[in-house]
Amino acid sequence: MKILAFDTALNACSVAVADGNNILAHDHENRRRGHAEALLPMIEAQMKSAAMIYKDLDLIAVTVGPGTFTGLRIGLAAARGIAVAAKKPVIGITTLEALAAAVPVLATKGRAIIATADARRGEVYIQAFNRLQKDEEISPIDAPAAIKTEQALASLDIETAVLVGSGARLLENMPGFDAEAYKILNLPDDPDAVDLVRLAAVRGLPAPYAPPPAPLYLRAPDAKLPGGKDPVAN
Amino acid sequence: MPNQQIIVLGLESSCDETAAAVVTAEKEILSNVVLSQNDAHAPFGGVVPEIAARAHVTEMDRLVDQAMTEAGVSYDDLSAVAATAGPGLIGGVLVGLMTAKAIASVAGVPLIGVNHLEGHALTARLTDDVAFPYLLLLVSGGHSQVLVVEGVGKYRRLGTTIDDAVGEAFDKTAKMLELGFPGGPAVEKTAATGNPDRFNFPRPMKGREGCNFSFSGLKTAVRQAREKMGEKVSETDIADLAASFQKAAVESLMDRVAKALDLFIEEYGGGGTLVVAGGVAANQYLKGALETLAREKSVALKVPPPKLCTDNGAMIAWAGIERLKCGFSDGLDLAARARWPLDPNAEPAPFAGYKA
Repeated sequence: MKILAFDTALNACSVAVADGNNILAHDHENRRRGHAEALLPMIEAQMKSAAMIYKDLDLIAVTVGPGTFTGLRIGLAAARGIAVAAKKPVIGITTLEALAAAVPVLATKGRAIIATADARRGEVYIQAFNRLQKDEEISPIDAPAAIKTEQALASLDIETAVLVGSGARLLENMPGFDAEAYKILNLPDDPDAVDLVRLAAVRGLPAPYAPPPAPLYLRAPDAKLPGGKDPVAN
Repeated sequence: MPNQQIIVLGLESSCDETAAAVVTAEKEILSNVVLSQNDAHAPFGGVVPEIAARAHVTEMDRLVDQAMTEAGVSYDDLSAVAATAGPGLIGGVLVGLMTAKAIASVAGVPLIGVNHLEGHALTARLTDDVAFPYLLLLVSGGHSQVLVVEGVGKYRRLGTTIDDAVGEAFDKTAKMLELGFPGGPAVEKTAATGNPDRFNFPRPMKGREGCNFSFSGLKTAVRQAREKMGEKVSETDIADLAASFQKAAVESLMDRVAKALDLFIEEYGGGGTLVVAGGVAANQYLKGALETLAREKSVALKVPPPKLCTDNGAMIAWAGIERLKCGFSDGLDLAARARWPLDPNAEPAPFAGYKA
């Protein structure tokens, strides 16, 4: 299965082209801004390097968040644009799933994986997973959430885990952080398209007529109703 | 369809309309799909940028597909893909621009980043074959400008708002009078039954030098008049407020446009054309005043039909065609621009932001 995967939702711009698990082309750059300018030239370069055209693809995979609102929309708009013009299916993968998928099975030593990203405003995006031995899939223990950093680990109720992502160091700085129970892995802070490819290869094609992937913001837009009231979050 | 024909897909997402259209160089609008987000913004009484961007990203691909299907063309038939690259609400602009980049890459055709204002400016050439140069009054919720359109990419700004856009003044007046959103049509409808002479609101900038606009003071005057009336306010009071506001706003606009027309006629000679574009151009009271002014100054008046005056994809596709024919196109590394004046030599109006 030929897959194009990319991510612009956090502080990287990452693109991979693969045939199944066989990575044919891959580029990954750390980037805090300018994703909108960098993404399509990077995709074209990797497609060319893999000697592929869009019509050859079986599947497009993209991160849907959580991450910066603008960043995740840049990736999603590009993925859905390619999908509609090339008539190819597209699946969404969360940034937290991609971060968790980057953790080698051996590194977990049977512990849970907590994937967490800096959500700014004193919060982290966080979700816990188990890594299944038998394949490349990860299984979520709970739902992804945006939580106050000081409450984040307690909210998960997980005794021991390995941590990955930019939120890990924020959690480490919280009073009472148990460095014995929670081991911070020395892995990149941002999703890598290679891990998106691996998850996409396991998950395969979406159901026919499935709706295209939607953004995962985990936060309502900043807007007040007249009178200063908060709108109901959706 | 013959291979030589120029066919362009145009995307628009710079404010609160998600839009896609397919247009040919022969000025055929093969499709023109617009999805308004009015309902999403109505509770807030104005456009909320993050809500707008969220709506654009979940609808744009579907609208593109609908526009292509209605036009009966395939992506391989396209000559180029055009998208608004600014000015406007950047989160939304990025959605349309990224979608366009992706489609251009798949179809293997040029990307054309269109200035949203140029889309409005060139619409009269799509609908009425207006020749260069002409005077353009651009009035919308986001912009109030008067420009000489000398050619594709060649604009001379004679005047701009120094604070609020005229459509913004309509929206805010509607909010103060609790008439609903979008405010322009609501104010116009309510004003139709009111007495436009009951309140003597200021005519901002009237008689002043130059052609700049200002609507912030008028907005304040309406608010103060409304507050003075307190809780006990009748439907007639509200209608009179709306009518008096509309009259003041339009009189102020006419004073400025008359000055701009004089300058235009002085420099380019008489018998030219005044083109009106932008959402406020749909206001019939304004149109009537412009007809009178155009007769006085012996110029032709062209107002494109309402659905091509408000934000739409056809104007972006058409501007893309005009630019393509001039040999302009953009790389896939094109950056979106929140601020992008049509006339780069015009002095900035610091309190108007991207509206200038």
